[in-house]
Amino acid sequence: MKNVLTVVAATLALNVMATDVPVQGNVQMRCLITTDIPGVYGNPTPHTLSTAVASGGVLPVVRYDITLADSYKAKITTPTSFSSSPALIDTVTWTGSTAVAQTSDAGMSGYEAAKVTYDATTEYDLTVAGSTWFSATLSATNGYDKAFPGGVYSAVLVAECIAK
Amino acid sequence: MKGVKCVAIMNATLFALAGIILVMDAKAHEMTPTYPKFESSFVSGVMKTKMRLFNRRNDVKYYEIGVFDSEWKPVPFVTSYKLLQMDYLETVSFDLYINTKDLSNSTYICSKSKLIKSDVISTGIASRICSKIK
Repeated sequence: MKNVLTVVAATLALNVMATDVPVQGNVQMRCLITTDIPGVYGNPTPHTLSTAVASGGVLPVVRYDITLADSYKAKITTPTSFSSSPALIDTVTWTGSTAVAQTSDAGMSGYEAAKVTYDATTEYDLTVAGSTWFSATLSATNGYDKAFPGGVYSAVLVAECIAK
Repeated sequence: MKGVKCVAIMNATLFALAGIILVMDAKAHEMTPTYPKFESSFVSGVMKTKMRLFNRRNDVKYYEIGVFDSEWKPVPFVTSYKLLQMDYLETVSFDLYINTKDLSNSTYICSKSKLIKSDVISTGIASRICSKIK
């Protein structure tokens, strides 16, 4: 009788044996550019358009997510012309600057100091995996302090992620 | 006192919800692989690779494909469409063909978002991702 019970118990134990269910994932090497905030021009004076918060604008913010350290460069180019605007007679002076707004890793603290700026472009070497937020301050000033004609003004910022 | 606490909790909840909505509204552009590998195609003297593009930008419907050398000069290549029409959250895999003689000069495969002029309000952001041929 004892033997029968042992066999039944062993059979039950076999039936409740757990099976490992493998869960697999694959994180590909990649760079993701996310436009967190497109930005808005404020009009603090009649001849100036600026995204600076103090000028009533909203800074455009771009986020770069990279999954492999030291494999990408971020290039951000501020606009030097309007993509659409009313007819302008005078020359517009453009200024733009890009800065690191936020980082997901303490190792990214050196990005701002190591940035390279030429013309309207700023380059960052993305040496640490994770997310980095960049903001850009843009301004356009109409020539001879003349007021911008009424209408809608648009300009495009270019955010690039280049594999190294 | 309880009423003040309730208002504070409600405010915190609203801020959290707003934050979640903002995060969910994020618009992203992605292209893989970062380092594409070329293989022989069915045509002799022509190499091919497969690229994958993911459009999570609801403000973008078109992406332009380009191949460049190390000096950013354009290199001839063939794809089904050089301007890909993509819906929001759509993934497109496409084959890219390059002559073997041009492949040695090719360094970057890029995709650039094309913004429609009338869709850009105040400032727009064009995104460009470039993979490197090693």
